[in-house]
Amino acid sequence: MKALNYSPEHLTSNRRLFWIAALLGLIMMAPVAWIIGLSLKDNAELLKGTEAVFSFPYTMENYANILKSSSVFGWFMNSMIVAVGQTFGVLLLSSLAGYAFARLEFPFRKTIFIIVLFGLAVPEQAVIIARHQMFNWFDLHNTHIGLILPNLSSAFGVFLMTQFFRAIPKEIDEAAMLDNTSTFRIFWKVLLPLTLPAQATLGIFTFLQAWNDYWWPLISATKSDMYTLTIGIASSQTNFAQSEGLGFLGAQAIFASLPVVLVYIFFQRHIVTAVSGGAVK
Amino acid sequence: MAESYRRSRWSNGLFVVPYLSVFLTLLVFPLGWGIWLSLNKVDLFGGERFIGLKNYARVLSDPIFGQAVKNTVIFVGVSVPTLVILGLFLALALNKTTKGSSFLRGVFFASSILSVTIVTLIWRIVFIPNDGLMALIFEYFGWQPIGFLSTTGWSLFSVGVATVWWCIGLPMMLFLAALQQIPKDLYEAAALDNASRWRVLTRITLPSIKSTIMLVAIIQVVMQFQLFGQAQLMTNGGPAGSSRPIVMYIYEVGFLRWDIGMGAAASQVLFLIILCAAMLQYWVSTRKEETDA
Amino acid sequence: MKKLLLGTTAVGLLALAPLANANTKIELQRFFGACEAEYGKVTDVSSAVGECGIITALVNKFEADNPDIDVNVTTVEWPGYDQLNAQLASRSAPDVVSMHYSAMSDYQSRGLLVPLDKLLKDQNIKPSDFTNAAISSVTKEGKVYALPFDNWTMLFHVNNNMMKKADLMKSDGKPVLPNSTDELFAQGKQFKDATGKPYLVQVTANETAVYARIFYTLLMQQDSKFFADPSRIDLSGKEAKAALTLMKDIMDKGLSTTNMDYPAAVAGFSNGAGGIAVNGTWLIGTYDAQSKQANNPLSDGYSVFPIPQFFKQKDVTYADGHGWVVPRGNRDDEKMAAIGKLFKFLYDNDYEWARTGHLPTVKAVIDSDKFKSLPHRSDIAKVAKTGQALPAQVLRQFAIQDILGEELGSAISGNKSMDDALKTAQYRINDLLENI
Repeated sequence: MKALNYSPEHLTSNRRLFWIAALLGLIMMAPVAWIIGLSLKDNAELLKGTEAVFSFPYTMENYANILKSSSVFGWFMNSMIVAVGQTFGVLLLSSLAGYAFARLEFPFRKTIFIIVLFGLAVPEQAVIIARHQMFNWFDLHNTHIGLILPNLSSAFGVFLMTQFFRAIPKEIDEAAMLDNTSTFRIFWKVLLPLTLPAQATLGIFTFLQAWNDYWWPLISATKSDMYTLTIGIASSQTNFAQSEGLGFLGAQAIFASLPVVLVYIFFQRHIVTAVSGGAVK
Repeated sequence: MAESYRRSRWSNGLFVVPYLSVFLTLLVFPLGWGIWLSLNKVDLFGGERFIGLKNYARVLSDPIFGQAVKNTVIFVGVSVPTLVILGLFLALALNKTTKGSSFLRGVFFASSILSVTIVTLIWRIVFIPNDGLMALIFEYFGWQPIGFLSTTGWSLFSVGVATVWWCIGLPMMLFLAALQQIPKDLYEAAALDNASRWRVLTRITLPSIKSTIMLVAIIQVVMQFQLFGQAQLMTNGGPAGSSRPIVMYIYEVGFLRWDIGMGAAASQVLFLIILCAAMLQYWVSTRKEETDA
Repeated sequence: MKKLLLGTTAVGLLALAPLANANTKIELQRFFGACEAEYGKVTDVSSAVGECGIITALVNKFEADNPDIDVNVTTVEWPGYDQLNAQLASRSAPDVVSMHYSAMSDYQSRGLLVPLDKLLKDQNIKPSDFTNAAISSVTKEGKVYALPFDNWTMLFHVNNNMMKKADLMKSDGKPVLPNSTDELFAQGKQFKDATGKPYLVQVTANETAVYARIFYTLLMQQDSKFFADPSRIDLSGKEAKAALTLMKDIMDKGLSTTNMDYPAAVAGFSNGAGGIAVNGTWLIGTYDAQSKQANNPLSDGYSVFPIPQFFKQKDVTYADGHGWVVPRGNRDDEKMAAIGKLFKFLYDNDYEWARTGHLPTVKAVIDSDKFKSLPHRSDIAKVAKTGQALPAQVLRQFAIQDILGEELGSAISGNKSMDDALKTAQYRINDLLENI
């Protein structure tokens, strides 16, 4: 019995810590509750004073207005296309390269790998202005491709996938080799399925990063029909007085985050495992 | 057969060609081109003229750039330790399999999936004077209202609060994963010694996850140095530039003042700063390990 | 096989046919805010109130009148020039963009705007149809580069109800306004003692434009030639110090609201947060509409006047205006004709736009009884004459405004000494202008 009490959980954690965390959780949720409250109020009423949030009546009018007139749908689709495209692109490029760096021999392999690792250190800011100019030359701005491409160059995925491929026991591909399988088949049919957890981790990171990207779409997606959700919401929140009221803005924020939040709630366990998977060294 | 698989072949290199081409065109070339731009007098609409290091001289002598560096360093210096300590605390508090813990883990991570504009929208409506949640709370308690977004000092603090709220999920998750990796027998030994909780924390838990703490710190330093959206959308860098980060300075120089030569120079300086900060951290951590050993 | 291919091509072409006849599309990008929820379907322009409402209704009306033309509106964060710059650099600028007169030189001098002389001529709009102030602001090197839409200045929007409480109303129903700095502080104190609220409602938070505009006004009233050379600003004189001192004293002596950003200040005046809102012409329509409703702080008690002359040298107020420009780009004749129609429509409806409170740019409108009989217009009529812009040759006026506003702001809030702020502002502005 006593030994049970001293399980690792109990030694690292206790009830008091939990309640402090719970309190922090409440503080964490308060702003969201506030926004939900605002989104359910009439804008004219809010104009007189936002303490109106705490009393009846509530209305769904702001949400109805979004469904009627807002461009949120278009922005959402753009964000989806960009985030999904970028995720697939990164997974594909990183898996191919990771496999080769981890398992194959080719001239200058080590040198190339080290150069790629240096890429990890280059922040977006160091290249963004030059990229903007380059994309001018090729008329790539205001296209989905133009929004997807830049982050495909991130070295993080290659680094991660190389690590994962290295972790797979060599016996597995060696067995496949005896069957005279081609290199690509070994990669595609034998090893790739084994990296699914890694793919999930990298995929979620890439998706979130693409979904939340701000600076690049800000200067590349400058036409309103190419706005991503991030840029679209930014364009409508900037001038509160000239916009449609706090309630409408709140409703827009809630509405725009709903899809990802739902996905998050449904797949929470997978996402948590995937994210934690990234840390396992 | 196995031999040929292991043999070095040019064709094996084909696997890295797709990534490598993207890497070269979208990272290496722009990096070089950016450095070239930084040596030129050039604006958004052309007109390249080589001027050597003059852009760098202008950036480094610009008091506003100095202010932006100071703001960013303060921001990183406060937000990163907060994220690390708070993330570690939450991981320790919620490292259980109970329903309540798992719900709270979900809550703390959920904000990470929101985009920066939604985070700033939420926090602007919390912080705005008169109508914001904070204003109402202050009014309720009869306290003197604070201009959270418009007072020197408070504005950067408010940006920091929104940032910590937004980013706390990842550190917590990484720490949780690391806690799961600690071998259980270490704790069993501690239990036999009747060690206090504090002793267990400082002697077993923290040393076991040292590398994760370093990893989280480096990730966060690199991320928070790139602060931009929160500041631009919440305070627009104000008041009087007191919450303007380096990235926003680059953006303004490039896209408001058209001077992309100077913007490129400023971004190379930022690159150097981030590189130095990350390397310094790495150096400190590895050195410490050596002295420990 | 070939036949089949031909067949599908034909079907494909047929399917495309309606596209070929599709409406001409005009991409219009503007500030003035977004109000789709309230005005998205409104085509009755006369029912709209405020900048956003009126321009939204105008565009709706134009689309209804011209079923063959679609106007695709993008609303940008005020003033939106960073976005426009990125668009111009990537050759993806929209067809029609709202632009301040003060920003036009930047773009015109780099050949980024299309001259509109022919387009306007085709619609029978003559330069002489516009007021001198308007047309001269959009004419560069002998060519017209924008459809002038309005002229504006900063004003004193007055809450008469609160002024009455402070015993600051004259017998003719107009408020007592200061004619000198001494009177300003005396009346401000009297107001605060009586109402407990600050005398002025000012935009002071996260704001640079208002600071700069007031500062320009105060410099101009002292007849300071701070841009004698359009490529250098001179803030070293005593005039700059005097202007900044006045702005700082107003804050230090508690005459003004604090911590209000633009939206808070606009709403604050509506809610009776202070006696006089220092803000632009564009709010007259909104506040006037509010004053005609019952049971609010402005009910039956709103009036508006030019910024008083605080310095004796010159009766003048800083002025600017909004115009519609066409950025460079490839457009066919059909599209240019559609833009022409849109401009003609906006020109014809200049009166509707003037209901916001802006000064109309069309002579026939500004001289019309219809305009003159709009409320409060006689009280502010003189700004048409006293309004003055910066020299047109001054480039990067928006970047200058940001720098100036930031430095003035830090002096006023006490983070910097006034001398230091003026010196830094001058250094930064001149560094910017030297390196264009």
